[in-house]
Amino acid sequence: MGFKHIGKDVQYRPDVLERVTGEAIFIDDIKLPGMLYAQILRPKYAHAKILSIDTVEAEKMPGVYKVITGKGWEKHYGDCIKDMMPMVVDKVRHIGDALAAVVADTEKHARDALKKIRVEYEPFPVCTDAMEAIKENAYLIHENSDEYFHVSPLYEPIPKTNIAVHYRIKKGDAVKGFKEADVVVEREFNFPLMSSAAIEVHGAIALFRMDDTIEIWTSNVGAFAVREEVANLFDLPISDVRVHMPYIGGCFGYKSDPSLGPLIAYIASFVPGHPIKLRVSRQEDFTSTFLGRGIRTKMKIGAKKDGTFTAMEAKLYLSTGAYADTGSNVLIVATQSAGGVYEFSNADVTGYSVYTNTPPVGALRAYGHPEIQFALERLVDIVARELDMSPTDVRKKNFLSVGKSNVVGETMKKSDGDLYKCIDNVERAIFSKERPEEDENYYYGRGIAGLIKSPKAPTFAAKGCHIKFNVDGSVSVNMSGADVGQGLFVLVRQITAEALKMPLEKVRVYNEIDTQFSPWEWQTVGSMFTFQGGNAIIKAANKAIEMLKKNAALVLHRDVNVLEYDGNYVYDRSYPDVKVLVSRICRGYIMKDGTTIGDVVQVSSDFRLPGAQNPDPETGMGRTGVSYTMGVQGCELRIEKKTGKVIIDNFATSIDIGRVINPSNARGQVVGGVVMSIGETLMEEIKFDKNGKLINANLLQYKLPTIYDMPGKQTIEFVETHDEIGPFGARGIGEHPMVGVAPAILNAIYDAIGYDFYEIPVTPDKIKAVIGGDTEAR
Amino acid sequence: MKNITLMLNGKKETIYFEEGDTLLYVLRDRIGLMGTKFGCGYGACGACTVVINGEAVRSCKVLFKTLEGADILTIEGLTEGKKLHPIQQAFVDANAVQCGFCTPGIVMELYALFSKEPDASDDRIKEVLSKHLCRCTGYESIFTAAKLVQKTESYSKQDKKDFERAAKLAREYIKE
Repeated sequence: MGFKHIGKDVQYRPDVLERVTGEAIFIDDIKLPGMLYAQILRPKYAHAKILSIDTVEAEKMPGVYKVITGKGWEKHYGDCIKDMMPMVVDKVRHIGDALAAVVADTEKHARDALKKIRVEYEPFPVCTDAMEAIKENAYLIHENSDEYFHVSPLYEPIPKTNIAVHYRIKKGDAVKGFKEADVVVEREFNFPLMSSAAIEVHGAIALFRMDDTIEIWTSNVGAFAVREEVANLFDLPISDVRVHMPYIGGCFGYKSDPSLGPLIAYIASFVPGHPIKLRVSRQEDFTSTFLGRGIRTKMKIGAKKDGTFTAMEAKLYLSTGAYADTGSNVLIVATQSAGGVYEFSNADVTGYSVYTNTPPVGALRAYGHPEIQFALERLVDIVARELDMSPTDVRKKNFLSVGKSNVVGETMKKSDGDLYKCIDNVERAIFSKERPEEDENYYYGRGIAGLIKSPKAPTFAAKGCHIKFNVDGSVSVNMSGADVGQGLFVLVRQITAEALKMPLEKVRVYNEIDTQFSPWEWQTVGSMFTFQGGNAIIKAANKAIEMLKKNAALVLHRDVNVLEYDGNYVYDRSYPDVKVLVSRICRGYIMKDGTTIGDVVQVSSDFRLPGAQNPDPETGMGRTGVSYTMGVQGCELRIEKKTGKVIIDNFATSIDIGRVINPSNARGQVVGGVVMSIGETLMEEIKFDKNGKLINANLLQYKLPTIYDMPGKQTIEFVETHDEIGPFGARGIGEHPMVGVAPAILNAIYDAIGYDFYEIPVTPDKIKAVIGGDTEAR
Repeated sequence: MKNITLMLNGKKETIYFEEGDTLLYVLRDRIGLMGTKFGCGYGACGACTVVINGEAVRSCKVLFKTLEGADILTIEGLTEGKKLHPIQQAFVDANAVQCGFCTPGIVMELYALFSKEPDASDDRIKEVLSKHLCRCTGYESIFTAAKLVQKTESYSKQDKKDFERAAKLAREYIKE
């Protein structure tokens, strides 16, 4: 199939000029008339009863309009478990909770007044790890968690425990499977808490109008989710809340769930008529939005001598934080992904989402997938070792492929990806030469890992698309997908131009998202915009073409069925000279005497994941993924003997993503995702002291990768198995490169120094402790 | 309120401020030049980088009162009308902009570098870029953009609409 715009490097993104000149308007760049500033008081303790909050002195401070606490507020919010409140009322549950707010004329005045608020606490024991919090005698973080509204049966808190959600998948007979095994291997793994840590911190503005409507601006990729949450909170019709989404300075997950929206709306409700702005500090960006990851896994695999897996058993423990609404989804996804890219006929996987006194866990790029595949892909390497097979052979023996069934019982389709092509690409990149022998300065190692990713959104999640033809034949496209830098706007432009057979220049993509004008979309998450949004565009384009043909039929006196559309004209297939310009019929056709016939060509469409279902309550299985993407990652690395530093010389990624729409942007997603994940693997970790205080909630101690941490090179090859549903055969790529990086690196570290790490980040200190002066380390 | 006079983006300006104001605060909250970004407030991320007297500086760490007579260049001062500065153009051509939040700071850093050291070595380029955090790109394309500025000497003279050609250059460079 010959494409004009699909698969081409259209590097000139419609938004790039604004971004490169600094003209792009991010949340913190917005100033509104009458705007006031809010600052939030965070607690001294991570777990305590609030005895009193004295705001009298703070109210007297210069510039202060209002000091606000949660006192008197009763309504909880949340999507799946309503366990959150905009501001805490009687108890703090983590160090980043919102205790009180000051609204003042400047940020500085608000900050100064915060210091005058006096709070009396009664501290409670603090628990920051699921393994502790799940114990029978653990101090309860939510005393009556079962009384919160929760979506049954998937989100079911166990009364009088800290377990917010537990979820079990039972496939086949795991006990029998392990009996059939010649080798059984079991290990424990830890993927600690981390932060999305975008360079832009969270911010939000809210305005309560006199007519009880609410207007919000927020750095959140789920404008419609924020709208619903805030409307529910204030018992307003959803249509009375308007949410704007400005440019977003990186999302990486933690800007997808409503974080500041409900809080800023609550604060603004006390100061109607004034837009109230809250831009959090970098510290609050860590403590008071969402963290990510935080899963401990015990996993066991059984295999026959020939390498065939017979059974898998796993228990996952998520330290979900003080509120479980968002984290529990991470846990469910991780549990559903426990089988990775392999077929297990027998599996028994149980996940627990456990309340802890830490900031709540929410989305972090590819959530649920890297956590569990870290455990699985490390364990598969260990199984291979026990069987004396190569890591690639044991993987190939068990790969999912057409007709095989994954751990939730979904049968894999051809378009879910060709793992064999992917592993060939990675083998060629990483294993085609002999591994260098250890020398004076370095150990050398190579490792590999599979990856799988599915959308994991509510079954109803959809993207909408409005297309409007203009009288000059140009087209306006209005969608609600957040371009967080991935190149979404140019993708919309490419797909629209292709579907409407137009040059790119005639397609203008709206770059402002506003729930008042933009079509409904759930959230821009799950790497699903290309797939769902792209299909919504094609559906809308087809509707528009049908309308143009109907209009043309009236003008040309032809049956609609004999007409063709080529982007400029609608014409008779058999008599191409019988034609009319699109620009003449897109608002109906105006005849000589002014009579106008036909319809105005402006259409609306949408697309959701076809046939997605909730899992079966008994077995935990079902059509929960629908569209899968699989691939393989691998790396060659060196470990510097003197420092214990890991130097990645080549990182290879091969993923079957269906048709690549924009090669340059697709590569950009992988290159960036791999480096972000190298950060998770080698340096990033949120650390707490025993009182639940984050001790590295800043960019000096919480190390993000710099240019010095990028691999010597990245080898990236996409396999393009046509997707039967995706637009022009395409699927997304935003999160996938995160999934296999940690196990690939840790497998390579084993290859280099013969030591198994089960926990990340693997810092130079940890490696030094292993290689030390011990020449027998290998 | 006090005031000082300085050069801002090529114009002589008298600017009012309060004692403890940082340069970043004055730029964003007093003057309304929003291209310079806040990322951390303590010089760890580089998003607020501007050029003062030819040096790349974190504007969040500079007290405004110390800038009497200084020559300050921000991202807003780089573009002439619709014409991008060659560094910005290289970022477009190398597809080195994703969310764009770190971009102005990095562009200003490279402006300071190439003004003094047009032939800066790869190590030197990496050294200055290591002061900047970018969470999107993985740095590869940013480094490519920096090299692209150096590689195309007549870069500023070439037709800026010739994106295809420039993009080809970028791709060839990536392949090397």
